[in-house]
Amino acid sequence: MPPPSRAAKGRTGRFALGVAVVSVPLVLALLGPVFAGAPGPRTASFTLGGGHWLGTDFVGRDVWRQVLHGGRPVVLTALAATALSYLVALPLGLVCALTHRRWLEELLIRPLDVLLAVPSLLLILLVASVFSPGAVGLALLVALVNVPDAVRIVRATAAEAAARPAVEALRMQGETWWRLAVGYVGRSMLRTLAADAGTRLTGVLYLVATAAFLGVGVAPDAGDWAVMVDRNRTGLFVQPWAVVVPAVLIVALTMGTNLLFDAALAGSRRPTRGRGAGSGINRNRAGEPRP
Amino acid sequence: MSGLRSFVARRLLLGVAQTVAVVLLVFALTEALPGDAAVALAGDQPDPARIAAIRAALHLDRPAHERLADWAVGLLHGDLGTSLTSGRPVSTYLADGFGPTLLLAAITVALLVPAGFGLGVLAARYEGRLVDRLVSSVTLAVYAVPEFALGVLLVTVLALRLDWLPPTAVGYGTDLLGHPAALVLPVLVLLSRPVCSLSRLVRAGMVDALASPYVAQARRYGVSGAKVRYAHALPAALAPAAQQLARTIDWLLCGVVVVEALYVIPGLGTVLLNAVAERDVPVVQGLAVVFGVLTVVLNLGADLVTHRLVPRAGVAA
Repeated sequence: MPPPSRAAKGRTGRFALGVAVVSVPLVLALLGPVFAGAPGPRTASFTLGGGHWLGTDFVGRDVWRQVLHGGRPVVLTALAATALSYLVALPLGLVCALTHRRWLEELLIRPLDVLLAVPSLLLILLVASVFSPGAVGLALLVALVNVPDAVRIVRATAAEAAARPAVEALRMQGETWWRLAVGYVGRSMLRTLAADAGTRLTGVLYLVATAAFLGVGVAPDAGDWAVMVDRNRTGLFVQPWAVVVPAVLIVALTMGTNLLFDAALAGSRRPTRGRGAGSGINRNRAGEPRP
Repeated sequence: MSGLRSFVARRLLLGVAQTVAVVLLVFALTEALPGDAAVALAGDQPDPARIAAIRAALHLDRPAHERLADWAVGLLHGDLGTSLTSGRPVSTYLADGFGPTLLLAAITVALLVPAGFGLGVLAARYEGRLVDRLVSSVTLAVYAVPEFALGVLLVTVLALRLDWLPPTAVGYGTDLLGHPAALVLPVLVLLSRPVCSLSRLVRAGMVDALASPYVAQARRYGVSGAKVRYAHALPAALAPAAQQLARTIDWLLCGVVVVEALYVIPGLGTVLLNAVAERDVPVVQGLAVVFGVLTVVLNLGADLVTHRLVPRAGVAA
């Protein structure tokens, strides 16, 4: 066995760093509500001390209790939106890549090209100006914004896998379409999709938190880290903890997720088309005509 | 040559289609309200007089396709409609918010290019060494952080604890150039994500180029290291970077909305957020069309530039 290269060692280091950074907000988000206990009586706004470890927030609630509750909506909405976008993108992308009917591919892809041209936050704000989406609505919106790019990636990956000689051999052997599409093409796409899911989750976390900060999809006094940052800003001079703690947790969550996925999936990136470096949400947010 | 021309024609056609689609989408999203749109838009104040006023202002008694046609014809003449809440033309809203946003965007882009390329070249120059690992890790980490969380932490440390910079731009109105200190934090926060993505792309492009046979050949001829880097390897990293720069517009738009809310800057983002909060549909529509068309045009430009730089790759994204 050759000794691990310097790059591999750096990757292990970054992986450990990512785990360390992401674990605090993630544990708080998932287990926090269990330990939060019953809400205490409301006291004066923006006070420090008085039995409140991190002081009180803009309506006099205990900040620590809000912190314990505030991570779950961010994490769950982001996970749901990511899963939902693949739920739509996977079948669409697979059909586009494997169909031999050109018109069907055009019909499915062209509208998505157009959707790619609209900035994601703009789309979310547009919808928010007429509807008042709740948490489910926000997850749906963020998923919708991610579908076009996810479909393109699924299609590109599947088309590459479907062009391999192995597929030709399977086809000549008379295997069923299902076994071909799911058993071979689907399986060979897994690594690329895992890498894409990591960058997509980072982007989704960004979008979910930003939308919540701008008041989309959340109640004005919701227990949500992003909402806490927004609402407690007025008391930043008197009681910074109500803003700083949730802000640091959001920073740790997004940073850690990105570091973790980047280190875990280094080497399994798609080598083609110079995508490796600019990981993230909107790498590809423009219609590109196919050559 | 005919290949290039047909590519440009196809790309322009797609741009036109996207513009039309943006207009249609904006109209459909805001007009496709369930039930009575006027009641929904009146929101918190559902008194009959206000509902009637909204109905009259939006011409809701007329069929949707006629309203769409009127609106689209108005857009072509530069008439974006009038606000529901104030009765002022939407174009005056745009004119009011345009200055601060343009200033922020211009400064950001002006600093983004040297900072992004500088960091990318620096990391590629010392590939695998400490500088590279540091730059790569920091850009990777900062890249993912939402602007509002970073911004609020910077305010706490730099403005409240150390008292170096003003925490917000409150009280300066639209005269931001007269108070450059108030611009430091907003621009810093706006730069955070695009700089990271741009420098990572430049680094990747240059590392690829430096490992390529033509660079090895140039070295064998005794071409100096600096010349190889800047005259031969850097141009190879330009094509993906040009595209990334256009993609950045999308981020800048997200960033501008957040940053203007955070630092209380009266720009287009603030206008948009206020209009969303007040359900002022014509203003939201007007701003959305302007932002959407801007994005389409900039992406179109970037694709054409990229095609010029790397004609054989089609549109490599």
